Amino acid sequence: MPARPAQLVLEDGTVFRGESFGADVTSAGEVVFSTAMTGYQEMLTDPSFAGQVLVLTYPLAGNYGINAEDVESKRIQVAGLVVHEACDAPSHWRSERTLGEYLASESIPGIAGVDTRALTRKLRSAGVMMGAVTSDETPEQALARLRSAPRYGEVDLVRGVSTDEPYEWDPAASDVRLKPDPQRNVVVVDDGVKYNIMRLLAERGCRVTALPPDASAETILALSPDGILFSPGPGDPKFLDYQVATVRSLIGKAPILGICLGHQVLGRAFGADTFKLKFGHRGANHPVQDVETGRVHITAQNHGYAVDPDGLSSDIEVSQVHLNDGTCEGLRHRSEPVMSIQYHSEASPGPLDNVYVFDRFVEMMDAVNSG
Amino acid sequence: MIARTVLSAEEIRRAVRRIAHEIVERNHGLADVVLVGMRTRGVPLANRLAEAIGEIEDASVPVGALDIGLYRDDIASRAPHVQPTDLPMAMEGRTVILVDDVLYTGRSIRAALNALTDFGRPAAIQLAVLVDRGHRQLPIRADYVGKNIPTALHEDVDVLLEETDGHDEVRIAREEGEQ
Repeated sequence: MPARPAQLVLEDGTVFRGESFGADVTSAGEVVFSTAMTGYQEMLTDPSFAGQVLVLTYPLAGNYGINAEDVESKRIQVAGLVVHEACDAPSHWRSERTLGEYLASESIPGIAGVDTRALTRKLRSAGVMMGAVTSDETPEQALARLRSAPRYGEVDLVRGVSTDEPYEWDPAASDVRLKPDPQRNVVVVDDGVKYNIMRLLAERGCRVTALPPDASAETILALSPDGILFSPGPGDPKFLDYQVATVRSLIGKAPILGICLGHQVLGRAFGADTFKLKFGHRGANHPVQDVETGRVHITAQNHGYAVDPDGLSSDIEVSQVHLNDGTCEGLRHRSEPVMSIQYHSEASPGPLDNVYVFDRFVEMMDAVNSG
Repeated sequence: MIARTVLSAEEIRRAVRRIAHEIVERNHGLADVVLVGMRTRGVPLANRLAEAIGEIEDASVPVGALDIGLYRDDIASRAPHVQPTDLPMAMEGRTVILVDDVLYTGRSIRAALNALTDFGRPAAIQLAVLVDRGHRQLPIRADYVGKNIPTALHEDVDVLLEETDGHDEVRIAREEGEQ
């Protein structure tokens, strides 16, 4: 059966034509690109991609199929997927189905045959913009839909991907090399956490309880946490100003780690503003320099906003910077066990060079407990 | 380090007011005019111009902030430092007045022109600077100049503004021993 024609329609009126390889529906979101060469299953299920149409710059996707284990949340989170070429005959011993079948099973549209180089150049020069993937509407209809839909920055996306109820992470659900008896309690404030954060904490002897994003400081402290983690998540951190107050009242009560969106919330709690990057940082090879040691780490990233360190209080300092544009990639408190990173130390996908951040978090907890 | 003041706070204030008048006159009013300050010190200058124009014309001119970090031509030799770009509206069809503190080689204006046109196609772009110190390396000139200050290449022109540096002053500095 010949593939159905599909279009990617951008808000400026540009139309990219290709063929549908997921669900034959219309879906809109902010069009962003990732330069990661592999890891499409992890990216599709990363809650930080909610509300976005993902463009993969690597020219071939789907060649190793889809398996049951490599998910980072319980569903596909992207609004749509744009690739140059989608492989429909994957080859991998763990593969259970094709990328197209996976998208179709969750009613997410995909479009293949797009000149993703031209598209990425456009997004780099004009900045990310709204767009729709469609195979059942005309470009004019899709454009009209786009113009009437709320923009990415106007939607509180965290509510849609986080949890309403507290839950305990079940290590048995995942193949982690578990320490027999977890010695530490970690509370994760779930703004759209990725499973690999939970896996890496469990591997390090932590019992992990996740709480909804609006959990109060009292609720968090009632669980007697040894450490508190503010998780990554989608959208503009301005929607999370209720967490800023929570963070402030938790300083000094237990070690705190903020990742990605959690880092932005921490920055705001210490007086900084956040701003939207022109085309964001998304990929698996972003160079980040440790300000203190000068060492450069290659990091996995997925963020469209950044902390503007200008307003930061003198209690906290920039600990890491992005070498491509000098933006803030990490914060460290000068006296309390509080740190944050803008990139994804949990990788998935990406290099595992930065899982040491979780070791440091555990060391911070143990130092407080033994002191 | 030897420094001498070339513009006092009062002279800066007068220069900004004069440029505000020139902007209104040159553009026959303010329809579609938007002021875009280049980071860092062009932004407070753009805000001051908008305020001065508001006093003259009883109209408010939108103000934006432009960062040129990723558009600089020395990006390969020095690590860029990106700050927020914040444009209040689409640039399409607007008369954009680019505002910077010092016009020197013209290279950062070249970067700003490229950055700006990536956001749309303005009807026109004009350039306002507080100080033109000469030594252009590109065919660029300003439409509005606070003061032309002839300088030597080894001298530095420091623009200090209340908003960023605590007080208003323009001074020329050179290392001791240099003529």
